Amino acid sequence: MIAALNDRLLPEGGFLTRPDGHYRCDATAWAILAAEAHGASTSELAPSRARLTSRQRTDGGLAIDADHGESLWPTPLAAMAWAGSSLSASSQRLAVRYLLESQGLHWDRVPESPIGHDTSIPGWAWTLGAHSFVEPTVLSLLALSRAGEAGHERAQQGAALLLDRQLSAGGWNYGNTLVFGQELVALPSTTGMALCALAGRVARDQVERSLNYLQVEAARIRTPLSLGWALAALDGFGERSDQADAWIEETLARQSVVGAFETSELALLLIGSAPQLSRRDVLGVFAS
Amino acid sequence: MSPDSKTRTRKGGGTTRRRVLLVGAAGLAATAAGRRYLQNDEAGLRAEVFIAKQADYQGDISGTVLRGLREIGVDEAATKGKRILLKPNLVEPHPERTHVNTHPLFVRAVAEAFLRLGAAVVAVGEGQGHRRDSLLVLEDSGLLEVLQEDSLRFHDLNVDELKMVPNAGDHTQFKSLSFPGLFDSYDWIVSLPKMKTHHWAGATLSMKNLFGVMPGIVYGWPKTALHLQGIENSVVDIYATLQPHLAIVDGIVGMEGDGPIMGTAKQAGVIVVGRNFPAVDATCARIMGLRPETIPYLNIASGQLGPIRNANIKQLGEPYEAVRTDFELVGDIPAHQQLRLATS
Repeated sequence: MIAALNDRLLPEGGFLTRPDGHYRCDATAWAILAAEAHGASTSELAPSRARLTSRQRTDGGLAIDADHGESLWPTPLAAMAWAGSSLSASSQRLAVRYLLESQGLHWDRVPESPIGHDTSIPGWAWTLGAHSFVEPTVLSLLALSRAGEAGHERAQQGAALLLDRQLSAGGWNYGNTLVFGQELVALPSTTGMALCALAGRVARDQVERSLNYLQVEAARIRTPLSLGWALAALDGFGERSDQADAWIEETLARQSVVGAFETSELALLLIGSAPQLSRRDVLGVFAS
Repeated sequence: MSPDSKTRTRKGGGTTRRRVLLVGAAGLAATAAGRRYLQNDEAGLRAEVFIAKQADYQGDISGTVLRGLREIGVDEAATKGKRILLKPNLVEPHPERTHVNTHPLFVRAVAEAFLRLGAAVVAVGEGQGHRRDSLLVLEDSGLLEVLQEDSLRFHDLNVDELKMVPNAGDHTQFKSLSFPGLFDSYDWIVSLPKMKTHHWAGATLSMKNLFGVMPGIVYGWPKTALHLQGIENSVVDIYATLQPHLAIVDGIVGMEGDGPIMGTAKQAGVIVVGRNFPAVDATCARIMGLRPETIPYLNIASGQLGPIRNANIKQLGEPYEAVRTDFELVGDIPAHQQLRLATS
């Protein structure tokens, strides 16, 4: 187990959200991915993977907790975490089936709508019955890629959704493009996520402005979530900076001032410091 | 008189809370026949709202807030020893668009006011609606610097441990609502909204700001599960269930036009303070030149959760007419239709 996650690992399996936090499935999935990327053994991670399995629904979904059965957005994270071990292959298969059979709310595009994006493309949603947004669609795409389903029709729809949501100025907002005629602002985290999922699927010129935006942001930002996704995305397009490891160290050092990072964010950042093949593999990133 | 004794409280209840619930139950029967706003008396609900001029963020905001709190009865006796959580609006910070969010100097001033009144703890919490990266949100909003300089703790409300509470409203299909569990460790929750127009809701003020207490891990980003139930329905149910204690509105520089993100800065020069959120928001609407009854969540709240009629709100400090400055509305935005308040 990598040292940075040691104080969050529970003896019965699973990870805390923070050193003083509580168990949560998304934190556990992220920690598994980081540990796997850094070479943790299957046996080390088996109790944590088993704990995720213990809450998997019969339809393959995994909700944030037992009381919130409609909040199924952790499912792709768990699918990625299960992918690293043959012991959890059946859980992964079930989760992937769930992802292939589920989709966000979508509807025919209305010409006079104040919303600029194409509402007819089915992606994935945060919660049951909701419209598709960038992050759950990205996580589902990455989970499908890691499961060898990158070419599935649903994955192609997800990629089409992401391309549709790309801002003309470059980058991605959290889900929309234009609202009442105004283009929304790009965000580094969702831009990194979207580019991660599109790496290997699109030509560079289709996302050039977004990559340029992200290059600038990656040099500026020292937060684990945004930097973590930015580095993963730039890596996927073969444009990881030579300074990336230093940026990761600078970001990790901030914990002495701002407090311990959330496990999910810390794990994402730590994945960025793993060997290239490992970090791409655990995130399901295809290099362009 | 303290908030605990005069208004609804989360802890210990109080006669007023029970009264409101009873009024709410009685009011439900009238819903089918039309909105309670149509009843001039608004089921007998009354509230006090304080308005003060505040030209900019360099002045003595803390002194103004302190005066407002005292005017509505929140004094040292009421505040001493209290643990207070401030909830600003940090919906989508951007370094060049400071009018999107509650100003960090406003947050600092309110914290200072409560500490001067003897609060034991003042902390800040937000579960911003759009951006997942809370640390970057704090940085880009300028609030991180204030938090560090003033040693104010920050809680990320999007990812805290969850606490389910039966839904005290009846406007969404939620049987229960999930809040951050850390709310149990605070005595008062104080909404610190930015005074803004909103392209879906008409205006976003102290009630709409409560979307940001709802955990993203349950409701998604941008709280999509709440949007599915209707913004106005969710706003009313959250307020009825959470029963937050105070609203202190940053109306020094607000946002007009295509709010809550893409609008333009509007110098309004006011701070508004009150305990009853519908009354506070209705007052803010009038200051913005908007008709409160045309804002759907205020229309629903009228006579059930508070008064929104001017006649039923005791204005303290400046009269709203003296500080009214019409916020620009956008003709193409349906939620902005019929909003404009007639000039008296």
